[in-house]
Amino acid sequence: MNDPVEGVELTNSPATDWPSAEIASLYEEHSRAIYYLSLRFLGDPQKAEDATHDVFLKAFRKLDQFRGESSARTWLYRIAINHCQNLQQSWHNRHVTANSDDAIWETSPARTDSPLRVLETKELGQRIQTALDQLSEEYRLLLLLVADEELSYEQIGTLVGQSTDAVRGKLHRARKTFAALFEKTA
Amino acid sequence: MKQRSKFSQEQQQNAAGEIRQQAVPEFATSDELLRFDASQTAVPPQIAERLKQSAAGLPPPPRPWWKKLFGPR
Repeated sequence: MNDPVEGVELTNSPATDWPSAEIASLYEEHSRAIYYLSLRFLGDPQKAEDATHDVFLKAFRKLDQFRGESSARTWLYRIAINHCQNLQQSWHNRHVTANSDDAIWETSPARTDSPLRVLETKELGQRIQTALDQLSEEYRLLLLLVADEELSYEQIGTLVGQSTDAVRGKLHRARKTFAALFEKTA
Repeated sequence: MKQRSKFSQEQQQNAAGEIRQQAVPEFATSDELLRFDASQTAVPPQIAERLKQSAAGLPPPPRPWWKKLFGPR
Protein backbone atom coordinates (compact mmCIF):
# COMPACT_ATOMS: atom_id res chain seq x y z
CA MET A 1 0.00 0.00 0.00
CA ASN A 2 1.20 3.48 -0.76
CA ASP A 3 1.94 5.94 1.97
CA PRO A 4 -0.77 8.52 2.58
CA VAL A 5 -0.16 12.05 1.37
CA GLU A 6 1.40 14.20 4.04
CA GLY A 7 -1.27 16.13 5.89
CA VAL A 8 -4.06 13.99 4.56
CA GLU A 9 -5.80 11.63 6.88
CA LEU A 10 -7.15 8.44 5.48
CA THR A 11 -10.88 8.29 5.81
CA ASN A 12 -13.05 5.32 6.59
CA SER A 13 -14.51 5.35 3.11
CA PRO A 14 -13.60 2.38 1.00
CA ALA A 15 -10.91 3.20 -1.48
CA THR A 16 -11.35 0.06 -3.49
CA ASP A 17 -12.36 1.80 -6.69
CA TRP A 18 -9.46 4.23 -6.59
CA PRO A 19 -6.00 3.37 -7.86
CA SER A 20 -4.59 3.85 -4.38
CA ALA A 21 -5.61 4.83 -0.87
CA GLU A 22 -3.42 7.88 -1.23
CA ILE A 23 -5.45 9.14 -4.16
CA ALA A 24 -8.70 8.29 -2.44
CA SER A 25 -7.80 10.24 0.67
CA LEU A 26 -6.65 13.23 -1.33
CA TYR A 27 -9.98 13.41 -3.08
CA GLU A 28 -12.10 12.76 -0.01
CA GLU A 29 -10.32 15.41 1.99
CA HIS A 30 -10.18 18.23 -0.52
CA SER A 31 -12.79 17.73 -3.23
CA ARG A 32 -15.35 20.03 -1.61
CA ALA A 33 -12.90 22.92 -1.35
CA ILE A 34 -11.69 22.51 -4.92
CA TYR A 35 -15.18 22.08 -6.32
CA TYR A 36 -16.49 25.11 -4.45
CA LEU A 37 -13.63 27.30 -5.67
CA SER A 38 -14.18 26.10 -9.23
CA LEU A 39 -17.93 26.56 -9.02
CA ARG A 40 -17.91 30.09 -7.71
CA PHE A 41 -14.88 31.17 -9.69
CA LEU A 42 -16.17 29.88 -13.01
CA GLY A 43 -19.85 30.41 -12.25
CA ASP A 44 -21.00 27.29 -14.03
CA PRO A 45 -21.70 23.90 -12.41
CA GLN A 46 -20.75 21.89 -15.50
CA LYS A 47 -17.49 23.77 -15.95
CA ALA A 48 -16.80 23.37 -12.25
CA GLU A 49 -17.38 19.65 -12.50
CA ASP A 50 -15.00 19.36 -15.44
CA ALA A 51 -12.44 21.58 -13.73
CA THR A 52 -12.55 19.58 -10.50
CA HIS A 53 -12.05 16.36 -12.46
CA ASP A 54 -9.15 17.84 -14.40
CA VAL A 55 -7.50 19.36 -11.33
CA PHE A 56 -7.52 16.11 -9.40
CA LEU A 57 -6.41 14.08 -12.39
CA LYS A 58 -3.51 16.47 -12.83
CA ALA A 59 -2.73 16.16 -9.14
CA PHE A 60 -2.82 12.37 -9.28
CA ARG A 61 -0.39 12.39 -12.18
CA LYS A 62 1.96 14.73 -10.35
CA LEU A 63 1.63 13.17 -6.95
CA ASP A 64 5.27 12.13 -6.97
CA GLN A 65 6.25 15.77 -7.46
CA PHE A 66 4.40 16.91 -4.36
CA ARG A 67 7.24 17.57 -2.00
CA GLY A 68 5.31 18.24 1.16
CA GLU A 69 6.67 21.77 1.43
CA SER A 70 3.14 23.10 1.44
CA SER A 71 -0.07 21.51 2.59
CA ALA A 72 -1.89 19.26 0.19
CA ARG A 73 -4.77 21.78 0.23
CA THR A 74 -2.49 24.62 -0.85
CA TRP A 75 -0.89 22.47 -3.53
CA LEU A 76 -4.31 21.55 -4.94
CA TYR A 77 -5.47 25.16 -4.80
CA ARG A 78 -2.46 26.18 -6.84
CA ILE A 79 -3.32 23.66 -9.54
CA ALA A 80 -6.99 24.69 -9.42
CA ILE A 81 -6.29 28.41 -9.65
CA ASN A 82 -4.01 27.96 -12.64
CA HIS A 83 -6.51 25.70 -14.31
CA CYS A 84 -9.50 27.98 -13.73
CA GLN A 85 -7.61 31.09 -14.76
CA ASN A 86 -6.55 29.41 -17.98
CA LEU A 87 -10.15 28.42 -18.65
CA GLN A 88 -11.39 31.92 -17.94
CA GLN A 89 -8.79 33.41 -20.21
CA SER A 90 -9.65 31.14 -23.09
CA TRP A 91 -13.39 31.63 -22.67
CA HIS A 92 -13.55 35.31 -21.95
CA ASN A 93 -10.51 36.84 -23.55
CA ARG A 94 -12.73 38.56 -26.09
CA HIS A 95 -15.01 40.05 -23.47
CA VAL A 96 -13.58 43.15 -21.92
CA THR A 97 -15.36 44.45 -18.85
CA ALA A 98 -14.75 47.97 -17.80
CA ASN A 99 -16.17 47.61 -14.31
CA SER A 100 -14.16 49.15 -11.57
CA ASP A 101 -14.59 47.13 -8.44
CA ASP A 102 -13.88 50.03 -6.16
CA ALA A 103 -16.31 52.31 -7.96
CA ILE A 104 -19.11 49.87 -7.27
CA TRP A 105 -19.04 50.16 -3.52
CA GLU A 106 -17.88 53.74 -3.40
CA THR A 107 -20.98 54.87 -5.25
CA SER A 108 -23.35 52.27 -3.95
CA PRO A 109 -26.23 53.32 -1.75
CA ALA A 110 -26.24 49.90 -0.13
CA ARG A 111 -25.49 49.83 3.58
CA THR A 112 -22.33 47.79 3.39
CA ASP A 113 -21.72 48.02 7.10
CA SER A 114 -24.95 46.25 7.89
CA PRO A 115 -25.27 42.49 8.20
CA LEU A 116 -25.86 40.65 4.99
CA ARG A 117 -29.46 39.67 5.18
CA VAL A 118 -30.73 36.55 3.58
CA LEU A 119 -34.35 35.55 3.75
CA GLU A 120 -34.31 32.40 1.71
CA THR A 121 -31.35 30.09 1.54
CA LYS A 122 -32.58 28.46 -1.63
CA GLU A 123 -31.71 31.54 -3.61
CA LEU A 124 -28.56 32.21 -1.68
CA GLY A 125 -26.26 30.48 -4.14
CA GLN A 126 -27.68 32.39 -7.08
CA ARG A 127 -27.31 35.71 -5.30
CA ILE A 128 -23.76 34.95 -4.27
CA GLN A 129 -22.87 33.92 -7.80
CA THR A 130 -24.45 37.05 -9.26
CA ALA A 131 -22.42 39.23 -6.93
CA LEU A 132 -19.19 37.29 -7.48
CA ASP A 133 -19.62 37.41 -11.25
CA GLN A 134 -19.49 41.19 -11.13
CA LEU A 135 -16.25 41.26 -9.21
CA SER A 136 -12.84 41.26 -10.81
CA GLU A 137 -11.12 37.91 -11.00
CA GLU A 138 -8.63 39.03 -8.39
CA TYR A 139 -11.24 40.05 -5.82
CA ARG A 140 -13.33 36.97 -6.51
CA LEU A 141 -10.38 34.68 -5.97
CA LEU A 142 -9.31 36.41 -2.77
CA LEU A 143 -12.80 36.17 -1.27
CA LEU A 144 -13.09 32.50 -2.13
CA LEU A 145 -9.70 31.67 -0.68
CA VAL A 146 -10.21 33.58 2.55
CA ALA A 147 -13.51 31.78 3.02
CA ASP A 148 -11.49 28.61 3.50
CA GLU A 149 -10.58 28.68 7.15
CA GLU A 150 -7.71 26.28 6.57
CA LEU A 151 -5.80 28.97 4.71
CA SER A 152 -3.86 31.75 6.41
CA TYR A 153 -3.32 35.17 4.88
CA GLU A 154 0.27 34.14 4.28
CA GLN A 155 -0.79 31.08 2.32
CA ILE A 156 -3.30 33.14 0.35
CA GLY A 157 -0.57 35.64 -0.44
CA THR A 158 1.65 32.86 -1.71
CA LEU A 159 -1.14 31.45 -3.85
CA VAL A 160 -1.94 34.78 -5.50
CA GLY A 161 1.66 35.99 -5.60
CA GLN A 162 1.20 38.96 -3.30
CA SER A 163 2.40 40.08 0.08
CA THR A 164 0.33 39.49 3.17
CA ASP A 165 -0.24 43.23 3.55
CA ALA A 166 -1.41 43.51 -0.03
CA VAL A 167 -3.80 40.63 0.53
CA ARG A 168 -5.24 42.32 3.62
CA GLY A 169 -5.75 45.60 1.80
CA LYS A 170 -7.32 44.06 -1.24
CA LEU A 171 -9.52 41.83 0.85
CA HIS A 172 -10.85 44.86 2.67
CA ARG A 173 -11.94 46.39 -0.60
CA ALA A 174 -13.13 43.09 -2.02
CA ARG A 175 -15.39 42.48 0.97
CA LYS A 176 -16.93 45.93 0.72
CA THR A 177 -17.48 45.59 -2.99
CA PHE A 178 -18.98 42.14 -2.62
CA ALA A 179 -21.30 43.27 0.17
CA ALA A 180 -22.55 46.16 -1.95
CA LEU A 181 -23.13 43.92 -4.93
CA PHE A 182 -24.81 41.26 -2.81
CA GLU A 183 -27.23 43.78 -1.34
CA LYS A 184 -28.22 44.76 -4.85
CA THR A 185 -29.20 41.19 -5.69
CA ALA A 186 -32.01 41.21 -3.13
CA MET B 1 -4.94 35.91 12.05
CA LYS B 2 -8.02 35.41 10.06
CA GLN B 3 -11.37 36.34 11.44
CA ARG B 4 -13.28 33.47 12.90
CA SER B 5 -16.89 33.36 12.00
CA LYS B 6 -19.55 33.00 14.63
CA PHE B 7 -22.24 31.92 12.31
CA SER B 8 -25.46 30.85 13.86
CA GLN B 9 -28.31 29.39 11.95
CA GLU B 10 -31.82 28.39 12.77
CA GLN B 11 -33.24 25.36 11.15
CA GLN B 12 -36.90 24.74 10.95
CA GLN B 13 -38.01 21.27 10.12
CA ASN B 14 -41.55 20.21 9.58
CA ALA B 15 -43.09 17.41 11.52
CA ALA B 16 -42.54 14.82 8.82
CA GLY B 17 -38.94 15.84 8.52
CA GLU B 18 -39.20 15.82 4.76
CA ILE B 19 -38.69 19.44 3.94
CA ARG B 20 -35.99 21.41 5.54
CA GLN B 21 -36.25 25.13 5.43
CA GLN B 22 -33.28 26.97 6.75
CA ALA B 23 -33.89 30.46 7.91
CA VAL B 24 -30.64 32.31 7.75
CA PRO B 25 -31.39 35.78 8.98
CA GLU B 26 -28.05 37.44 8.60
CA PHE B 27 -24.35 37.13 8.18
CA ALA B 28 -22.00 39.58 9.78
CA THR B 29 -19.38 39.34 7.06
CA SER B 30 -18.99 38.18 3.50
CA ASP B 31 -16.56 35.54 4.76
CA GLU B 32 -19.30 33.99 6.86
CA LEU B 33 -21.70 34.11 3.95
CA LEU B 34 -19.29 32.33 1.64
CA ARG B 35 -18.37 29.77 4.28
CA PHE B 36 -22.00 28.93 4.74
CA ASP B 37 -22.43 28.70 0.98
CA ALA B 38 -19.45 26.37 0.75
CA SER B 39 -20.80 24.19 3.52
CA GLN B 40 -24.08 23.86 1.66
CA THR B 41 -22.43 22.98 -1.65
CA ALA B 42 -22.25 19.29 -2.31
CA VAL B 43 -19.71 17.80 -4.67
CA PRO B 44 -21.51 16.03 -7.52
CA PRO B 45 -20.87 12.29 -7.09
CA GLN B 46 -20.28 11.86 -10.81
CA ILE B 47 -16.94 13.66 -10.47
CA ALA B 48 -15.57 10.84 -8.35
CA GLU B 49 -16.89 8.27 -10.78
CA ARG B 50 -15.29 10.03 -13.73
CA LEU B 51 -12.06 10.40 -11.83
CA LYS B 52 -11.96 6.74 -10.91
CA GLN B 53 -12.30 5.85 -14.57
CA SER B 54 -9.73 8.42 -15.65
CA ALA B 55 -7.27 7.41 -12.95
CA ALA B 56 -7.69 3.71 -13.55
CA GLY B 57 -5.04 3.75 -16.22
CA LEU B 58 -2.56 5.67 -14.15
CA PRO B 59 0.40 3.80 -12.73
CA PRO B 60 0.55 3.69 -8.94
CA PRO B 61 2.11 6.92 -7.72
CA PRO B 62 5.78 6.47 -6.96
CA ARG B 63 7.07 7.49 -3.58
CA PRO B 64 8.13 11.14 -3.52
CA TRP B 65 11.90 11.61 -3.59
CA TRP B 66 11.92 13.08 -0.10
CA LYS B 67 10.09 10.06 1.24
CA LYS B 68 12.49 7.76 -0.49
CA LEU B 69 15.32 9.53 1.28
CA PHE B 70 13.80 10.22 4.68
CA GLY B 71 10.68 8.13 4.89
CA PRO B 72 10.27 4.71 6.42
CA ARG B 73 11.56 1.81 4.43
